[in-house]
Amino acid sequence: MRKLLLLLLFVAGCSKGPRADVPAIGAARSLGAEWALVNEEASRGHLTAVYVKTMRQQLREQLQTNASSLRQPDSRYSVEIQALLAEPDGAAPEELRAHSNKLKQIEDGLESA
Amino acid sequence: MNPLELTLGIMTAVGGFVDISELVFAAKAGSLFGYALIWVFALSTIGIMVFGEMSGRVAAVAHQPVFNLMRHRLGLKLGLVTLFASVLSTLITTAAELGGVGLILHYLTGAPYLLMAVVGVLVLGASMWVLPFQWIERTYGLLGLMMIIFAVALVAIHPPWREVAGGFVPQVPKGLSTTELLIFGYFMVAIISAVMFPYEAYFYSSGGIEEQWGPKDLPNNRMTTTVGFALGSLLAVSILASSAQLFGPMNVGPEVAGSSALEAAIPFGRTGLLIALGGMLIAIAGAAVETCMANAYSVAQFFGWEWGRHKKPWEAPRFTLAWIIFFLLSLAIVLTDVNVMSLVEYAVLFSIVVLPLTYLPLMLLANDKKYMGQFANKWLAKSLGWFFFAVITAAAIAAIPLYLLTSGGQA
Amino acid sequence: MTPSDPLKLVAELLDLPIMDKDGRYCGIVDDVELSGSAGKETRIKALLVGPGAYDARLPRWAFWLISKVAGRRVARIPIDQVDQIHTVVHLKCRAEDVKLHQVEDRVRAWIPKRGAL
Repeated sequence: MRKLLLLLLFVAGCSKGPRADVPAIGAARSLGAEWALVNEEASRGHLTAVYVKTMRQQLREQLQTNASSLRQPDSRYSVEIQALLAEPDGAAPEELRAHSNKLKQIEDGLESA
Repeated sequence: MNPLELTLGIMTAVGGFVDISELVFAAKAGSLFGYALIWVFALSTIGIMVFGEMSGRVAAVAHQPVFNLMRHRLGLKLGLVTLFASVLSTLITTAAELGGVGLILHYLTGAPYLLMAVVGVLVLGASMWVLPFQWIERTYGLLGLMMIIFAVALVAIHPPWREVAGGFVPQVPKGLSTTELLIFGYFMVAIISAVMFPYEAYFYSSGGIEEQWGPKDLPNNRMTTTVGFALGSLLAVSILASSAQLFGPMNVGPEVAGSSALEAAIPFGRTGLLIALGGMLIAIAGAAVETCMANAYSVAQFFGWEWGRHKKPWEAPRFTLAWIIFFLLSLAIVLTDVNVMSLVEYAVLFSIVVLPLTYLPLMLLANDKKYMGQFANKWLAKSLGWFFFAVITAAAIAAIPLYLLTSGGQA
Repeated sequence: MTPSDPLKLVAELLDLPIMDKDGRYCGIVDDVELSGSAGKETRIKALLVGPGAYDARLPRWAFWLISKVAGRRVARIPIDQVDQIHTVVHLKCRAEDVKLHQVEDRVRAWIPKRGAL
């Protein structure tokens, strides 16, 4: 009986874990999308170099903070966020959006679960 | 009514309307819910028009600012509670604005953010020391008109105007999940708070005394609060609508304050970006000055000190010391490197809880024929005033539960 | 309203701002001193201004906290120095004559007297 209770508690803890990370996943999704938008507008010559540099820096720092606040560091979404962080500053907008879209799918999936 | 004075007053109100909280929440609201929260901006703007007009009228007729009369109406105990709560919420707001100034200077110059926050405080403090009241108000208000770039940018991206207009109709989007409904509710409360911040009434009524308003200035007061605030609110609505058009489809939150400037960069390139950043800098800097002065006004008026920037700093020494201390305390909060967006959330949350305490004494004063004579609230001001008081009380009760349930509007 | 008219202490006097004859703010009516006793006519003898006057109006812990920050001084304004009472109490004398403005003058010494337009 005690083992069953412990197992139930463990499972309950696990299922709570990913949902608790939904705000962080949403924030990471947005940060990836903002980064993509900055790079896209930069490639069109619409932005100043200083703005691009400072925005990329701030977006990356916030993603880093975000990643370290996750309760499930070995999860699918954590891996996706790390992959996003591994992108170079000037990564192609499509690549960044691909990560952002994957995070959106995970976010939607967890919210409807 | 002097047409030049009136025009300057309206333009100052327009340029000074948007602060960092409205900027942040308008952009997020548009991205998350499309045009569906425009009506909340419109409703809150009518609310601040009603209470703004009342606070200006009280200043012009009773020749006393709100906080002086508030202590008299509430008494010492409740007055101290109100003072403490409003000073704390306005202090956090000043910190959020100063953080915003630091961030935008960082985007413009590349210099470290915290250093720019310190530079911001020094420049703003110097402007408050050197300039008399009317110059402070006019400088920030008129330069803040650069924010019009956001309205022009909205026109340039050809939004679906019927849908934008539809956003002015009170609504709750269909098909929202329970979580999304709660987030929608949280944004309603946050927008009401951001538009109707307590410091607006304190600053506006004290400004009326600074400019020595009398009953002859009442038409000017009415026009400034209605036309000026309405046009200013349209700037916030432009930011929301551009976000709905540009950010929403791209899954951009936005999470970073600087992203709002992209709304002007997308149609107008570097010129649009720089005007947007310039407008944001001045609007937020102006709000930092206003919130700091509002706190100094509140404390000085509550304790009966000499106050005002129509006097030289040494003619109102405790008032001067008060605003310097408030600036330094706000800077200290910023220097803890707390996220500016988090500061904005806390500012909005603390302020909505304090709002009923702010506006109730104002309503009672403006209704009181002993102070106001023939200029006491008539039926329209009374009805609207009590309606909006009910709205802000409901928002104040719902604010903290909604914040906790939605993790600050995230999920 | 003049000080000799009947008035409601709480609704019409307490916590009103005070202005001296030069139009300078110099405090708030924090308390009043009354003359008379049970069964006899009650008149206002003086206005009391300063954090020391909060003693009777606040819980003990709140008064202790405030007095640690602001002290316990009380300035006494004899009622014959009061000219008019409306939304502000107007005095016949200058703030210095009734020992108000002492703290204001001390703080003024710290404020540089230059640079403002």
